[in-house]
Amino acid sequence: MINFDNIAPVKLKGAGGGLWITIDPSHPESELIAEIDRLLKKLKHLAINADVTLDTGDADGQEELVERIKIHLENNFELGTISTSPQKRSIPTERRRQRDLSKGWNHHKSDVLMLRGRVRSGQKINARKHLVITGDVNPGAELTAGGDIIVLGTLAGKVHAGYPGNDGAMIFSLAFNPSLVKIGLITATGAGESGIQGPEFACVEQDSIVVKNYMKDNPFKRMPWPEVI
Amino acid sequence: MEGKVIVVTSGKGGVGKTTATSSIGAALALEGKRVAIVDMDIGLRNLDVVMGLENRIVFNIVDVVQGKCKVDQAAIRDRRIDNLFLIPASQSDNKDVLTPAGVERMAKVLRQKFDYVIMDSPAGIERGFENSVVSANEAVVICTPDVSAVRDADRVIGLLYARSLEPKLIVNRIEPARVERGEMLSYKDVLDILSIELVGLVPMDEKVLISSNTGTPLVLQNDSTAGQSFRRIAKRLNGETIPIEVPNLKPSVWTKLGKTFGLK
Repeated sequence: MINFDNIAPVKLKGAGGGLWITIDPSHPESELIAEIDRLLKKLKHLAINADVTLDTGDADGQEELVERIKIHLENNFELGTISTSPQKRSIPTERRRQRDLSKGWNHHKSDVLMLRGRVRSGQKINARKHLVITGDVNPGAELTAGGDIIVLGTLAGKVHAGYPGNDGAMIFSLAFNPSLVKIGLITATGAGESGIQGPEFACVEQDSIVVKNYMKDNPFKRMPWPEVI
Repeated sequence: MEGKVIVVTSGKGGVGKTTATSSIGAALALEGKRVAIVDMDIGLRNLDVVMGLENRIVFNIVDVVQGKCKVDQAAIRDRRIDNLFLIPASQSDNKDVLTPAGVERMAKVLRQKFDYVIMDSPAGIERGFENSVVSANEAVVICTPDVSAVRDADRVIGLLYARSLEPKLIVNRIEPARVERGEMLSYKDVLDILSIELVGLVPMDEKVLISSNTGTPLVLQNDSTAGQSFRRIAKRLNGETIPIEVPNLKPSVWTKLGKTFGLK
């Protein structure tokens, strides 16, 4: 089985025509070098003349360490070019606004799971990102989504938005009456019949879940332009 | 023409499956159909008692499925209603002695001999439920107007849809007085959640207990409101279109008087 939580000091991947080495600078330099040596020796002739890119993952300011490892590689292996990873580019706000305004979503591939129909007791729905259900969710049903949950109908049952740890997610429904609400890591139990008619949404405020009238406190009202989520 | 297998199920126990099965079966037989009622609750057989036929059991469904006897030998004829037969469950075995394949084989034979085969499913959604629904052509879900029964019925409806059966709903034991006081869900609330075709509403009726204890068919009692509801349900299942009657409160003398004097 592949272990995604692998915290190995050095990771080696094939990238394009060459090799991509990701090092974790939190480990001591000697350990890193020993690990690189071990991995490259395993590759035997495949490493000869390979173009190698050195990368420190999310850690910044490790240029000296990378430089020393680079020299070590040049001296000990017959590699091709050795380069450091290019700086991560982030799109400046100005350009992002431009993109959103010029309908940047035309090429957006959606992760939204949209379903219609009634979700009955005992049925479970898991969505990787946002979940939209046009229909009712009955008591005893369970919804889990990595992002927001939007129910165009009555919402009863158990809901977990922002699974596993996204507190910024929201849950919306036209009639909000779930038995259990979870957003990210925060949990709240349903309050029974709220008596409030109309669309409501739940979100996290100061580490607790609050339910608000959507028409009064629409959280997206103040957003200046439509944005891809 | 081949007969139809109708399964009566609910998920939750004690909502009136057995009463409904025996009443619908008897009512269909009164309509002139050949009806077999099959008790699928192996190990906890009840239907024979409710129908007053427990003294006449020789063979049971397990014997039929295991090939120890023919269907005709196990089917007990009801002496009061023509064309009504019962295939009783076994009291000594457990639900695992029957397999879906075995039940399917038996249902094939039953379909040829009867117009309607009504299967009384046990409570739960395990083996007994699977055995009951495997050969069904139609499904009827019984639900009482309380939250737990609705939730279980909802689960069962999901499972029936998964088997390409479109269940029909009977809301049983409606007490109009308590609905009016807000102590009980109304049939509309139940229908709101379950949202399947309604085939009948049955009021709470004290006669049901008496009739099941004495083993007399409910539908033969003209003064039983539940019995009359089941007769209408049987007609609907038989293809007639008659409007659904909503159990109402009989207005008391005082409210009638009040109305005449224009008080309300």
